[in-house]
Amino acid sequence: MTLFIHFLAAAVGTVAFALIFDVPRRFYPLCALIGGLGFFLAELLMRLGLSQTEATFLATMVVTLTSRVSAVWQKCPVTVFLISGIIPLVPGAGVYWTAYYLIMNNTAEALTRGFTAVRVAVAIVLGIVLILEIPNRVFAGRKRAK
Amino acid sequence: MDEVLETAVDAGHILLESGAEIFRVEETMRRICRYFGVDESHEEFFVLANGLFATGTTEKGHFAKVKQSRVTGARLSKVVAINQMSRQIEQGKYTLPEVKRELERIRNIPEPPKWLQILSAGLGSAAFCCMFGGGPVDCAASFLAGLILYTFVLYVSAPHMSKISGNLLGGALATVVCLLCYKVGFGRDLGHMIIGGIIPLVPGLAFTNGIRDIADGDYISGAVRLLDALLVFLCIAVGVGMVFTVYRHILGGVPL
Repeated sequence: MTLFIHFLAAAVGTVAFALIFDVPRRFYPLCALIGGLGFFLAELLMRLGLSQTEATFLATMVVTLTSRVSAVWQKCPVTVFLISGIIPLVPGAGVYWTAYYLIMNNTAEALTRGFTAVRVAVAIVLGIVLILEIPNRVFAGRKRAK
Repeated sequence: MDEVLETAVDAGHILLESGAEIFRVEETMRRICRYFGVDESHEEFFVLANGLFATGTTEKGHFAKVKQSRVTGARLSKVVAINQMSRQIEQGKYTLPEVKRELERIRNIPEPPKWLQILSAGLGSAAFCCMFGGGPVDCAASFLAGLILYTFVLYVSAPHMSKISGNLLGGALATVVCLLCYKVGFGRDLGHMIIGGIIPLVPGLAFTNGIRDIADGDYISGAVRLLDALLVFLCIAVGVGMVFTVYRHILGGVPL
């Protein structure tokens, strides 16, 4: 149940960012779906025992993949879906906790949180890059097959 | 031919300013050139995150143009529009004057109204507060912080401040709002309230585009954009930290 509420919240959050990035309105539903799905997946995987880094890596791959498929389908730049879809996975909370523990003079905890945030960021980078390496014709071919 | 190059530069410039990736800018400029009869040997483009250089040889002599650009905010609707136009150019649906007119129209696509941007920043804050585990009241406080923060971003920091001080003060402002809410008993989970509150500042565009540019081999632009994202993250953290420090040491040292 919480997972479902979080899915909805992530979808709303993604659309909010889509509006700030001035994504054309007709793409909002897909953006919401991609952003919600990514966050939902990351949370689900973490509940299944994966670390935040691993979960984020896999979720990023799914977000990038669905973004690319949607981009081919809608004939528009991937950026439209990718940028808003990645936002829920960006370690914004990690940045906050790092600052918080630094101020609280809890250096050990601050380091842990900070490194986790960096690791998550690297996981996002790797996830995006890996999927972007798939040549375009793979997606174009699937489209033609339909 | 001068005109073709000029048009290509215009299209590239709009794309760059609206937050497109480097390879898309270069590809679109080349597409326009090819279709209107300027081949590879007659043009050369070099695109960086903050400017583009174009040179060419034409029947009249040489063509050279440098355009600086600053990404002021993502305008993905412009990227989408130019992308669509460039596809249709290849299908032969545009003449050169029509391309120019279309570019002029795209340049003037209005951004979403400010109140709507502010409202959605608030909604985004509330949504992220909820995602990280905040309760309904915490979300309401985040919503408020997001509204105030984005009003500040649109009217004060974006037009008048550098990126560093803008994000620093933005992070501090969101924290102050959440802290005040927390003090009057509006919201129980300060951490999640603040996380939601600062989310509208997160540099999603610079971060994602930086990664894409590096993946495409555009290392300079990618590095610049990632540095930009990192700097913004740091500034937000420092902003939050400043408020906490003041709260702790000057206003009585109450543990949070």
